[in-house]
Amino acid sequence: MNKIELNHLDTTIYHERLENGLEIFVAPNHHGNNVYATYSTKLGSVYNEFVPFGKKEFVKVPDGVAHFLEHKVFEQEDGSDPFEFFTSHGASANANTSNYKTTYLFQGTKDITENLKYLLHYVEHPYFTDENVEKEKGIIKQELLMYDDDPYWKLYETTLFNSFQKHPIRYSVGGTVQSIQKITKDILYECYNTFYHPRNMFLVVTGDVEPEEIISLVREEQSHRETKEMDAVKIKLVDEPDTVYKEQEDLYMDITIPKVTVAYKINMEQLQNITERDFKKYLNICLDLKFGETSQVVEELKEQNIITESFGYDVIYTNRHALIMISTETKNTKEVILKIDEMIHHLSCTEEELERAKKVIISNNIYMTDHIYSMNHKIMSDMIREGKVMDHVVDEIKRLNIQDLEQLIKQLDFSNKTITTVKEKEKH
Amino acid sequence: MNYTNFDMGSYHIHVIKTDHFKSVNVRINFKRPIKKEEITIRNFLNDILLESSKKYQSRREIVIETENLYNLSCRNSTVLSGNYIISMLNAEFLNEKYTEPGMLKKSIDFLMELLFHPNVKNQQFDQKSFDLIYKALEEEIISAKDNPNHYAALRMMEEMDKNLPLSFASEGYIEDLKKITPASLYEYYKSMIHSDIIDIFVCGNVDPNEIKQLFSDSFKINTLKRKKGSHYLTHKKIRMRSKSVKEQKDTKQSKLVIGCKVGELNLQDRIYAGYIYNLILGASPDSKLFREVREKNSLCYSVSSRYQNLNSVLTIQAGIDKENYKKTVSLIKKQMKDIAQGKFSEEDMEKARVIYVSGCQGLFDSPASINSTYISYVYLDADPVEERIENISKVTKDDVIRFAKHVHLDTIFLLEGDYHE
Repeated sequence: MNKIELNHLDTTIYHERLENGLEIFVAPNHHGNNVYATYSTKLGSVYNEFVPFGKKEFVKVPDGVAHFLEHKVFEQEDGSDPFEFFTSHGASANANTSNYKTTYLFQGTKDITENLKYLLHYVEHPYFTDENVEKEKGIIKQELLMYDDDPYWKLYETTLFNSFQKHPIRYSVGGTVQSIQKITKDILYECYNTFYHPRNMFLVVTGDVEPEEIISLVREEQSHRETKEMDAVKIKLVDEPDTVYKEQEDLYMDITIPKVTVAYKINMEQLQNITERDFKKYLNICLDLKFGETSQVVEELKEQNIITESFGYDVIYTNRHALIMISTETKNTKEVILKIDEMIHHLSCTEEELERAKKVIISNNIYMTDHIYSMNHKIMSDMIREGKVMDHVVDEIKRLNIQDLEQLIKQLDFSNKTITTVKEKEKH
Repeated sequence: MNYTNFDMGSYHIHVIKTDHFKSVNVRINFKRPIKKEEITIRNFLNDILLESSKKYQSRREIVIETENLYNLSCRNSTVLSGNYIISMLNAEFLNEKYTEPGMLKKSIDFLMELLFHPNVKNQQFDQKSFDLIYKALEEEIISAKDNPNHYAALRMMEEMDKNLPLSFASEGYIEDLKKITPASLYEYYKSMIHSDIIDIFVCGNVDPNEIKQLFSDSFKINTLKRKKGSHYLTHKKIRMRSKSVKEQKDTKQSKLVIGCKVGELNLQDRIYAGYIYNLILGASPDSKLFREVREKNSLCYSVSSRYQNLNSVLTIQAGIDKENYKKTVSLIKKQMKDIAQGKFSEEDMEKARVIYVSGCQGLFDSPASINSTYISYVYLDADPVEERIENISKVTKDDVIRFAKHVHLDTIFLLEGDYHE
């Protein structure tokens, strides 16, 4: 067991990598009674082409398979129901799938040992049959249709689809009503056996627990687990161009106020003299200053009645690209699209603004250490993005400076973009 | 944890001192009996108080100041709660031990500035701020209809009883919005400050006397207020036969919402037996609805029940294909009937109790949650957490069956979409 001290944050995380490759992180917090445990595999929706365990050739799986698998992992051979187990032990359980990982979790205040053992157990012993796979299709279809009716979701999904040409991030995490029909028991087992190997997984426990107890418990449990030697999963890399798939798309739905997203695709590999981590921090600071609530331009646009709400912005990353998405609701879509373009070309930051932004980020890091959910999520996202827990975040923030920021802004190229709108459907 | 209550005459300060957290949570609550026509103006007031003040002339200046205060977070919201409408200013900031000395006073002064120095001239709110909030609210009210879940839930409640506070749109109404002027808004502001029941809750590692001093320096009002009636809402009429309503919307999925009125019961049954009933019926992925409607029959992805004991209403929602409407409704009715006939086990009871207790044990895990718990003590005379745990353990199967017999299916609403492969 080793200790990871989060510098300037008065917080320690305990870590161990077991012989079978599973990594365990424990961040104790004895100021409350709750415990939050997450068990994740690095299988997300984007891993749709890979070499299955024990094979040599790449296979392509239907879109939505990681998410489908997440649903089916709850199926157990003895017919027992994980939800029932957790409920009867006072915990609430859930699972979720994103672009880069699948997570199974529980949260509760009692029977932590039993719950933790069971979390490991059920995730490691799913049971798929032709029948239970078929049955799930009806449920997932309703889940997909629910998202399909959500204009904000459609806006996001369409933006991603049109921004990328090859990278599988362009496909919806859940797949489509059509793609999930192709999923079979064998495909699920193939994905499961490849990605749910301990060396591709990690467990994070935060809250009112003793690190030594948790780690030795998991060590003991895992010693009974039969695992075969395995190399890192081979995933098909795509050569994603910088240009977008489609520059504009208008959707029509049963809504009252049009919504718009303008997305810019930036190649991070071409940036000079800057680490990817610093780039992400500077970018967020600049976007917040331009499109957030402290922006002079946003205030003017509101006063001129061009927008009513602030802009929302979001950035997602692939290995090569950053996709900046600026969204708002407006009746003047044309004018706003032009305005967003003008704003993104004039990103800026003063020394004073940078210092204020740094203060905010450091404060947020302090708030985070008080919350077992935020701590758990920090560890998970560090593991996915960096493969380890980042312990010098506060120092990284303190080092940010105006010279590097200005240098970075000069390098940004906003010429690759796509615009998506959701407009009101004509009533018949 | 140490609780101190200061009676300041026209308001109360409740300080819960604990050294467990790095942040301090402050809630300033204004409450009065609910009136439908006041919802919109109250939302307006909430928003405009965070839009500008005497010292900070715009939202931008306010947000810059929160960032200077080490990212103090500050939200205003209106909650419809039983017979009352409550406006809450909810703020959280870092304990000055983690920032710099003097920040506690600065943070509270900032909140006082927003509440007591509004941007008002000649008895009217500033026109520019007024116009901005007006537009934003107008869009919020209109676009609330874009959310099928919210819309279907509200439509069901309207069909159930349009005089019931739960059927009031929490975002407000366009007709009411149109009537608001900068002058009438200021009148409403004065009335809220002077006639609402006001409670301030502070939780964190703070000195209660210092908190009292900080507030009494700037929070000076002299009207005396009397506590009003019960928070709990009861129904005057119970429908003998349930009512079914369908409405079309251009969506793929159909939203089914079922509303039930809960008849008069003593507080123990209402709170504890109701909790267990709801959990067994549909409030967990281990519930009857989840198992039967979703897992066994693959009719939906989302299905759940929600019980609001304050409002004496239980609702069930599901997202389905419209062809499955009848089948889903009859399955739901069957689950309710089964509980009323005692077709559930002692094990189901025990699971629900365990979940309840586990929830109770987590109530003191954050300053915000501690404040919410103390608010329930003050407003609802809620049982102390230890007593809650004891009370839930006393609930018997018969209590749950008795509760089930008081659940009256009232309205079945379908927002009908259409999906073709």
